Amino acid sequence: MATEHETETLPGEGGGVYASFIRWMENLSETQFAYFLLTPALLLLGAIAFWPLLSTFRLSLFADAITGTSTVGEFVGIQNYLAVLTGERNALLPAPFIPTSLSVKAIFGSALTVTLIFTIASVFFETIIGFGQALVLDQDFRGRRWARVVIIIPWAVPIVIQGMIFYLFFAPGIGPFVGEGPLSLQQAGILSDSPLQTTIDAAMITIVADIWKTTAFMALLILAGLQSVNRDLYDVARVSGASTWQRFKLITLPIVLPTVLVAMLFRTIQAMRVYGIIEASGVGCSTLPSLSCLVVTSFFGGTRLVGTAATVAFLTAAFIGLVVTVYIIGYAREEGA
Amino acid sequence: MSRGLNRDDEENTSVSRRRFVQAAGASGITVGLAGCTGGGGESDDSTAEPISTEAPDEEVTLQIGADSLFNDNVDAIEQSLHESGGMPDNISLEVTAGSFESGDRQAKYQQLLNAEQEQPTLLMMDNGWTIPFIARNELTNLSEALPESITSTVKEDYFDSMVATAQDQNGDLYGVPLFAAFPTVQYRKDLFREAGYSDSDFETWATEPMEWSTFSEAVAQVWDETGTKGGFGWQGKNYVGLACCDFVEFMGSWGGSYFGEFSNLFGPVDDRPVTVDEEQVIDAVRMMRTFINGQDDPEALSDFTQCSPSNTVSYTEEPSRKAFANGDLVALRNWPYVFDLHGGEPGSGDTTGFGEDLGAMPIPYHTSTSDSPYGPEIGGSTSALGGWHLALNPHAPETQKRAAVQMLDALQTDQVRLDIFKAVGWIPPIPELVDSDQARELDPLGRYVDTLKVAGENSVPRPVTAVWPSQSSKISQQVNAAIRQEKTPEEAMTELQETLVSLEGQG
Repeated sequence: MATEHETETLPGEGGGVYASFIRWMENLSETQFAYFLLTPALLLLGAIAFWPLLSTFRLSLFADAITGTSTVGEFVGIQNYLAVLTGERNALLPAPFIPTSLSVKAIFGSALTVTLIFTIASVFFETIIGFGQALVLDQDFRGRRWARVVIIIPWAVPIVIQGMIFYLFFAPGIGPFVGEGPLSLQQAGILSDSPLQTTIDAAMITIVADIWKTTAFMALLILAGLQSVNRDLYDVARVSGASTWQRFKLITLPIVLPTVLVAMLFRTIQAMRVYGIIEASGVGCSTLPSLSCLVVTSFFGGTRLVGTAATVAFLTAAFIGLVVTVYIIGYAREEGA
Repeated sequence: MSRGLNRDDEENTSVSRRRFVQAAGASGITVGLAGCTGGGGESDDSTAEPISTEAPDEEVTLQIGADSLFNDNVDAIEQSLHESGGMPDNISLEVTAGSFESGDRQAKYQQLLNAEQEQPTLLMMDNGWTIPFIARNELTNLSEALPESITSTVKEDYFDSMVATAQDQNGDLYGVPLFAAFPTVQYRKDLFREAGYSDSDFETWATEPMEWSTFSEAVAQVWDETGTKGGFGWQGKNYVGLACCDFVEFMGSWGGSYFGEFSNLFGPVDDRPVTVDEEQVIDAVRMMRTFINGQDDPEALSDFTQCSPSNTVSYTEEPSRKAFANGDLVALRNWPYVFDLHGGEPGSGDTTGFGEDLGAMPIPYHTSTSDSPYGPEIGGSTSALGGWHLALNPHAPETQKRAAVQMLDALQTDQVRLDIFKAVGWIPPIPELVDSDQARELDPLGRYVDTLKVAGENSVPRPVTAVWPSQSSKISQQVNAAIRQEKTPEEAMTELQETLVSLEGQG
C-alpha cells in the first residue's frame, strides 16, 4: 500500500505549495471540508454583517458630539447604555427605550414595549390565520388556483401602496372608517378622531396592516410544510377511525410544526424591525416609535447624536438576537424530540 | 474502501473540489478588493480661503441641491441671472432636486457633507436647520470666502431675522438668503361677503391684525352661515412644522416664547431660561383646543369660539391647502406659495384660482406687544419666519466655487430678485424690495404685498441651535398630544418644560 501512495502524484502537478495544499484539502474529512467551504461565506458575512455590528458597538462607547467637527466625543465606556436603559437619555430620544411607568400610555409610548406588542400580536394572528388559509389551500377544490391568487395578492403589494391603502382608510375626511358613515369605527367608539395620530390606535392599525399583508407569507410557508405530509398517513388514520381533529393533532401538527416555527422565526425577525409601514401609512415614527424608528430618528433627527444612535442600534440588534435565540432553542428541542 | 477510490469518484463529477476552490478563491479576492476601497480622511479646516472673483473661462454647469420648485423654474431663474444679473453666459445651472420634505433633504445633506462629496456646489438649506450645520463646521464660511461686496449687502439690506439664521456666534455668514416666507391667514372673501362682511372690512384686515376672539367668532359665523365643511385650517400634526411655526405663532400672539426674551433665541444653550410652562403659553394651547373642540372642551377658554375642523390635528401644509382649494375651508393659515397657486383668476387655466376673492391678513393676536412680558419683539401678531438659504459646499472643486461666486453676485441684483418673486413666488429676503412698486405690480402676488410686509415685520425665527432638532420633536409631540385632548395643556407644557431643560443641558 505504501508504495502505491508514493507513486500517486497526478500528472501535470509539479508538487510544492500548491500540490501540498491540494493534498491537504483532499484529505479533509467531510465535516472539515464542509467548514472549509463555508469559510469564504463566513468571511463575507463577517465583512458585511459582523464588522458593521462591531463598528456600531465601538461608536456606541463614545459620547455624542452635538457641535464641532468630529462626529463623536470622548470615550465613555458603557455609559450610553446605562443612560438609554435607565431613561436618563429620554429627552434626546424621540421616545423612551424602556417604558417610564406601567401605564398603558407609557407602554405604548416606549420603543421596546410597543415593538414587542406589535411583534407578538401580528405574528400570533398571522400564524393562526395563515395556518387556516394553508389548510384550506391544501384541499382539492374547484377554483383552488384562484383562491391561492387571492390570498397571495396582499403579499405582492409594495409597502408604500399598502401604507397608502391604510392611510386612505383612516385619514380623517377621506377614510370610510373615520368620521360619520356606516363603517365608521370612530362612531362605534373603537377609534379616536384622528387614529393615525394617536399612538394606541395607530399601533392597532399598523398591526392590522401587517396582518393583512404578511399572512400570505405564513400561509405559503405552512402550505409547503403541509404538502410534504405523506397522504398515506391520513388513509391509515381514517381506516383506524381517527376523527378530523385527531388526524390534525396527531399527524398534521407534529409534522408541520418545525415548518411553522421557521416561518414564525422569519416573521418575528421582520416584525421586530418594523419601520416601512409606519412611515408609509402616515403614522410616522413620532406617533409609533418602533425600535427601528428610534434608530433612524436618532441618526437622522438633525441633532448629531451618533453615540446615542449607535447605542440604540446595537441594543435593537441585541434584542432581536435574543428573541431569535428563543426560537432557535425551541426549534432545536423540536428537532431533538 | 480507500480514500483513493473516493477521489476517483469525485474526479468524475463535473465540479471537483479543486476547481471549486480555484473559482471561489478568485471571486473572493475580487470581493476583498472591492471591500477595501471605502474610507476617507478627516479634514478639520474651519477657515476658508477667499475664492477668486474672476469668472471661470470654460463652460461650467453649476450644481445646486434644491427642491422640485427650483428645478421646475430653473430656466426662468437662469435666464434672469444671465440677463438681469449679468452672470457670465458660460455658467449654467443644474438642479439636483431633492425631496419636498425639508427633513429628508436635511438628512441627505448631512450625509453628503459628511462624505465630503464634491457635488452639489450650492445647497439650498432651510433657515430652520442651517445653524446645526454651521455648528458642526460643515459649510464654507462665506465671510471669509466671498468678496466683502456680497456679504456686506446681505448683512445690511436683508431681513435681520433671516440673516440671523445663517450665521455663527461670531457673526460670520454661512449662507446667502434665497427667499423669505411669512405665513398669513388666507381667506375666502366671497364666503365672508355672503355672511355680511364688506370690502372695507377686508381692507382693514389686510394690514391691521385682528384679535383671536373676533377672528374665531367671524370664522365660526361664516362657517355656519355658508355651510362650508370646515372653518379655519392650520397645521396641528405632530411634525416639525408645528414646533417651528404654528405653535410659535399661537404662543407668540399670547406673548409667550420657548426661551424668554427674543435675544435668547439662538443661545447660549443651557444659559437661558425655558419658559413654556408660563401661563400665557398654556393659555395659547387652551385657545388652540377651544378652536378645535369649542366650549365642550373642559379646558376651553370662554373668549373664543370653535372655528377649526377636527382634522386640524392631522393637518400639515399640503393637506390643509388642498382642503382650502377644494372649498372645504373658510380660512387657512399657510405660507405665501398659496397666493401663487390660488390667487389666479378662476378659469384662466387654473381651476382652483379664487382670483380677487382670495383675501389675506396677518396672523391674529391676543396679547399686544406692549402687554407681552417679552415685548416688543415677542407678542402681538406673530409670523414664523420661513425661508431658505444658499450655502456653499466646502468640498466643491475650485471652478465650481468660482461659478458659485458669480451666481451669488448676480443674485444680489434687485431685478433678479423680482423676476424670481414673479416666476416662483419666492419673496425677496429684502424688506425694501417687498415694499417696492415693482413688487406691487406683480399679479397675483402684488395684491398681498402689504399683508406680507406686516407679516415680515412681525416675523419670529425659530430658536435654532445645535439641540433644536431634538427640542423641536419634543415640542410638536407635546403640543399635538395636548390639542388631541390626550393631556391637559398644563400637563403637556410642564412635561415639555422638564424635557427642554434637560435638552439644554446636552448642548
